[in-house]
Amino acid sequence: MVQAVLQMRNIAKAFPGVLALDGVDLSVAQSEIHGLVGENGAGKSTVIKVLAGVYQADGGSIDVDGKTLSSVTPAAVHAAGIRFIHQELHLVPHFTVTESVFMGQEISGRFGLSKRSMRAAAEGFLRDALDTEIDGNRLIRDLSTAERKLVQIARALVDNKARLVVFDEPTAPLASGEIDKLFAAIRRLRERHIAMIYVSHYLSEITEICDRVTVFRNGRNAALFDAVGPETADALIAAMVGREIGDLYPVRKRDRGAPVLEARELSDGVHFKDIDFALRRGEILGVAGLIGSGREELIEALYGLRHVRSGRMSIGDAPVRLSSPADAVGKGVVLVPRDRRQDGLVLAMNVMENINLASLEEVSKLGWELRSAARSRSKRLIDDLDIRPPAPEAIGRTLSGGNQQKVVLARWLATKAQVFLLDEPTVGVDVGAKVEIYQLIEDLAANGAGILISSSDPGELIGLCDRILVMMRGVVTHDTGAEGLSIDQLVAMTTGAAGRPSIEGASIV
Amino acid sequence: MSRVISAFERIDLRALSGAAPLVIFVGMLLFIGVNAPNFLTWNTAQLVLNQSVPVVVVCLGLAVVVMAGGDDVVSGGIDLSIPATAVLCAGIIAQQVTLAENPLVVGIAFALAAALVIGVLNGLLVTRFGMTPLLTSLAMFVAIVGVNNVVTASRRINIDSPLILFLRDARIIGVPAAVLATLVVAAAFVFLIHRTKWGLNLQASGGNKDAAEISGLKPTQYLFGAFVLSAFAGFLASFFLLARGSGSSPGTEDNLLLEMVLATFLGASFSPRRVVTVWGAVLGAVLVAALSIGFTSMGVNVFWTGLIKGTLILVVVALGAVSTRAK
Repeated sequence: MVQAVLQMRNIAKAFPGVLALDGVDLSVAQSEIHGLVGENGAGKSTVIKVLAGVYQADGGSIDVDGKTLSSVTPAAVHAAGIRFIHQELHLVPHFTVTESVFMGQEISGRFGLSKRSMRAAAEGFLRDALDTEIDGNRLIRDLSTAERKLVQIARALVDNKARLVVFDEPTAPLASGEIDKLFAAIRRLRERHIAMIYVSHYLSEITEICDRVTVFRNGRNAALFDAVGPETADALIAAMVGREIGDLYPVRKRDRGAPVLEARELSDGVHFKDIDFALRRGEILGVAGLIGSGREELIEALYGLRHVRSGRMSIGDAPVRLSSPADAVGKGVVLVPRDRRQDGLVLAMNVMENINLASLEEVSKLGWELRSAARSRSKRLIDDLDIRPPAPEAIGRTLSGGNQQKVVLARWLATKAQVFLLDEPTVGVDVGAKVEIYQLIEDLAANGAGILISSSDPGELIGLCDRILVMMRGVVTHDTGAEGLSIDQLVAMTTGAAGRPSIEGASIV
Repeated sequence: MSRVISAFERIDLRALSGAAPLVIFVGMLLFIGVNAPNFLTWNTAQLVLNQSVPVVVVCLGLAVVVMAGGDDVVSGGIDLSIPATAVLCAGIIAQQVTLAENPLVVGIAFALAAALVIGVLNGLLVTRFGMTPLLTSLAMFVAIVGVNNVVTASRRINIDSPLILFLRDARIIGVPAAVLATLVVAAAFVFLIHRTKWGLNLQASGGNKDAAEISGLKPTQYLFGAFVLSAFAGFLASFFLLARGSGSSPGTEDNLLLEMVLATFLGASFSPRRVVTVWGAVLGAVLVAALSIGFTSMGVNVFWTGLIKGTLILVVVALGAVSTRAK
């Protein structure tokens, strides 16, 4: 076999109380897209951070092009030609595309920065290597998410010295059309003989783009797949979870009751208009749509985060105008946000504090928090939701993505809310945790809550929901039952390929 | 109804408010010009510029620190000690030249050394010890004022050194020397921060610390450098303070502090990106000075000018906030 570009051997890393990596190996060859999968907590992130020099490994060695790195610091790793495309974009919102691409590697001429040649180089790189036209003078905050992602990639690679690029969940914020664009860019990079590590929870993407796949489980190597295709997906899942997983989605056994959240001709004047729906108790309603379809903004409006310009909303039987999230929570409507790190979890607080955050009055007397009551309640929810580690004192920041999401859910479970708005509830969450979260959602609905899920995963919507609203350019184009719907059909609806029925004709179940 | 709304949306508060701060200020100046006939004259302009010169120079320093540390007033980069540094440097120079009768060069050397010590101290406290810039530099401000009181015995000291007198009185092609000198300093800062690699990396550090770190930069180094540079700006400002007041007078730092903070953050609303910039700070300082003098020449009761100025600035900053939020 050809010389491996990257050879990580027997890497070990322990954190207080946790052995995160127990001697893992990872080898990547030239012009190879190497998938790295595993459940949350399996050690993917840790091994990447060891490679980045963010964590120092307790044992093991890292070879790049056959030479062992004597010290693994961010600078040494960068010098060896290893680049990271982090899940977070890490861009300065008020910088231009050119400034962002050349951040830390600016070109200077005799009279200061060579702005013109940098702009030409940035635009040229985006065009040639990543197949995208973006004006170098545009500000980052005016770009779409996909464009920002490509700018982020351009920044890592524009010096043409990259040997190995690590992608960490690159598609997480993207809509499906944008993913193809990213994949085209990644394949273009493979033609340039760059080795790549592709870390993702989306197995369909892994099987589509990767040449080989390494599977981690509980901090150890679980499997290495030398050939990957759509047919490998089941074997990958089996290797990841190490157990048979049943059907991904729970069996529906719910009764629908009276409407608990209703919207009539709801418009915010910009992003969505004339939205009609009625969410009943015990019902799970999905909202599908591409990024920019108005789906996110609708959820924000339902939670009082966005001003509604016209139309009516009612919770239970009572008409409401929500002016703030506090207003919404007070009326029994809660949101599990998409960006749990930024909006959902107080990262510096521990699990118990995060869980009790929204319902302190229930574990307080006269303004005093009753620690024992708070503790026992959070412990109960931790057990119910199988949050790992099962410690109320664990700090939010240290939890894996799936477990963070469970903590956010637990917080709202503790409030006995009537309506749950879930925005991309399983983004960045592994298969095992997904199944648990799905079951949790199903149980919530079975207990009489109304649930509204906004998601970019068509399978999730079909598997979980009773009905799906499909949004496109701010309006609901389809209002359809989920049963019997195929993923292809739903994708066709969200992308507009299915045509657009007259809104009047759409059946409202 | 919905058509009215969409038409309203199309006008777009953001685009409108983008240019509004500058429009308001220029409009205000024109209004003053109409009501006070000698306001829009070269003489008044010189007065305004001369008046704003020390503020402009300390603003340069603050702008750099804000850009390096981020514009969060509490946790980001801020250096409130610059005006005190300027006053201390002025005090040291005046004391050395007038009281100790040393050559000007000796005074300058002492002042420069003091400024650098302050800058390094600020930088260390913030980047090494992780102290909040707001509190660190405020405490430093108080301490420096104390040192100045010791150095100058809290008294006014006149100075008649040729260089200072030159800055005060000389004109080069009709422009006051102090204004020209400030222009040169400001141009140097603009070049350093907006046209060099170091400057852009410094802005990246303040704009998104993680992004800068991931790009292989060391944000704390830039913040440290910014604090040293801002103390240096304080040192430079001391010459203009000496020239404007024909000597050093303790107590000037308080007003200077207010005007510096105001002008620098006001400058952000003039920038198309809505961030603190070097040239924005300069513009802010000049415009605030122009307003003050304008109101005086209009004959507005001095008790009212503060209120009017404050309201105006609030409106402008609010417009800036609206346009950022609309993003």
